[in-house]
Amino acid sequence: MDVTEILEAHKAQFKPITVEKLVPLDFDLSLLAGFDTNALDDKRLKGTKEAYLKEMTRDNVQLVVNGIFELPVKTSDHGILAELPDRTTVLPREKPLPKEKPMTRWEKFAQTKGIQNRKRERMVWDDDRQEYVPRWGYKGGAKDGTQDWLIEVPNSVDPMTDMYQAKREEKKERVAKNAKRQKRNEEEGAAATMAGKKDVRDLKKDELQSAIAASRTATASMGKFDKALRNEQKVKGVTHQFSSNIGDAKAEKNSSMDILNKIVGKDAKVDVNKAVRMHARDSAKKNFSKSNDKKSDKKFNKKQRK
Amino acid sequence: MLRTVKPKTARTKRFFKNRESKVHENPKTALIVHSSTSSQKVNDALKDLYALKRANGIHFTKKNELRPFEDEEKLEFFSTKNDASLIVVGSHQKKRPHNLTFVRMFNHQVMEMIELGIDYSQVMSQVPGAKAAVGMKPVLVFNGELFDSNTTCQNIKNYFLDFFNGEESDAVNLNGLEYVISFTALSENKIAMRTYTVQMKKSGVKTPRVELENMGPNFDFAVRRTVAPRRELWKNAVRVPSEIKKTKTKNVEKDALGDTYGRIHVGQQNLSKIQTRKMKGLKKRSNESDEDDEVSSKKQKVDDNDEE
Repeated sequence: MDVTEILEAHKAQFKPITVEKLVPLDFDLSLLAGFDTNALDDKRLKGTKEAYLKEMTRDNVQLVVNGIFELPVKTSDHGILAELPDRTTVLPREKPLPKEKPMTRWEKFAQTKGIQNRKRERMVWDDDRQEYVPRWGYKGGAKDGTQDWLIEVPNSVDPMTDMYQAKREEKKERVAKNAKRQKRNEEEGAAATMAGKKDVRDLKKDELQSAIAASRTATASMGKFDKALRNEQKVKGVTHQFSSNIGDAKAEKNSSMDILNKIVGKDAKVDVNKAVRMHARDSAKKNFSKSNDKKSDKKFNKKQRK
Repeated sequence: MLRTVKPKTARTKRFFKNRESKVHENPKTALIVHSSTSSQKVNDALKDLYALKRANGIHFTKKNELRPFEDEEKLEFFSTKNDASLIVVGSHQKKRPHNLTFVRMFNHQVMEMIELGIDYSQVMSQVPGAKAAVGMKPVLVFNGELFDSNTTCQNIKNYFLDFFNGEESDAVNLNGLEYVISFTALSENKIAMRTYTVQMKKSGVKTPRVELENMGPNFDFAVRRTVAPRRELWKNAVRVPSEIKKTKTKNVEKDALGDTYGRIHVGQQNLSKIQTRKMKGLKKRSNESDEDDEVSSKKQKVDDNDEE
């Protein structure tokens, strides 16, 4: 057909964009990268290295560009953008994953109630000034009541009170309350993360359980002869493991011998210095008490004589 | 070593928040340092590397006493102070002339080190011609099968992919492919790095014909000592947070024609226990075997009435 001939002629004017390669390239288009695993021509490397490298790179870049131009395209303000696919090569992060922060009291409440966070705009319309003023921050706070041109004094309050002063104090109170709550949240969060629990209530529950367990043995008889309360549960803890009386006599002998060896045997761990000190102390005590007895006898005898 | 500063102003708070670990990370900053011993060749090379990493690079031109393979603490200090996870140190000694040490950090701890010696270099200023604009993302090409088979070359490939990555983006401007950096593994110990500008020429079809012009810098590297990525750090560095992990949509398929099919799992049906309209007469009784008898018995009743 005539049309194909014209098209071919048109194409022949330009250099081709197709590249012949023995081994097809691997691409990671999200990094604009192409990986060529074809064998290098050593002869050309020794001869005309720069030209060979340039030619090889040109072919590979052509293939990468072909790949990029085949990607779906979206138009934006910055021009025509090609949407890159997901990354295939694994590149390491520079910092570890962020640790999950414990939720604050409000966040927990909002989650249970299903309250969504609605972001409020920064600028608020001020009718008095007929303009937008920032709600908070620099040049803001015009609508928090402290700058009203008129504040009515209600009947319930002393007519001579300074309402502006009252408003300012209210604001101070609110700020202080907020700061206190922030501090409390921080402390609770820190305590929760230290104990390895995400929720402060879990931490407090654990603390409560251990406190209850401790209080149970806090009687004179270590909790042995106390009557259990109606709904009291057994304390979870370490139970003594007693081996049976009848059974392996050899095992029993071995364990007893082990204990004996540790105390008096070949690898007995005896702290010689401590033993010497104890002996010295005991003998000193004895001498002291001996001398004292004599003295006390004398005194006693003296008294008796008197 | 560094005192922890507690932010007192909102600006300082924002500064530290930026440096914290995040789900979507900042582009990696490269710190380029001249060691106390460095030659002219090395200095020029470092200057060019900084030019390539302009937006995300810090260049220390003054000489610093830094020995990467001996003293890791100093590297960690530099990394923490400048929030840099990539460090390049240039030095020159008789035993290792014209040396560049490329370091990669994770959590400000040394994870990987690659030492490359410059055998041949051609700097940007030595190459005539136009240069690519600052801050553009380069096209990267890795030639040679050694980049796939040899572990050291694989690490080097990964390092340079990371080094020249820059800011992560999910779309690229088709006119923004301005330059290409190609690495060729000539042998196990020799890597050639070449930089070219990309010129798009008409080709008669939508995809343009690519022509290259030498831009520089061009280096011939000799691979010297390397420290492979430390396993523990690498394992933690490669973890993907659940926010980025793609959620798979199950039970949805697209066939060859482009139609989307969904699959609903109903579960096994027990026909005898299906909830239908109940008719007491049809209930299966233990002494009767089939329904026909019941039906016929019904009929008989009607006949009797008629007779009466």
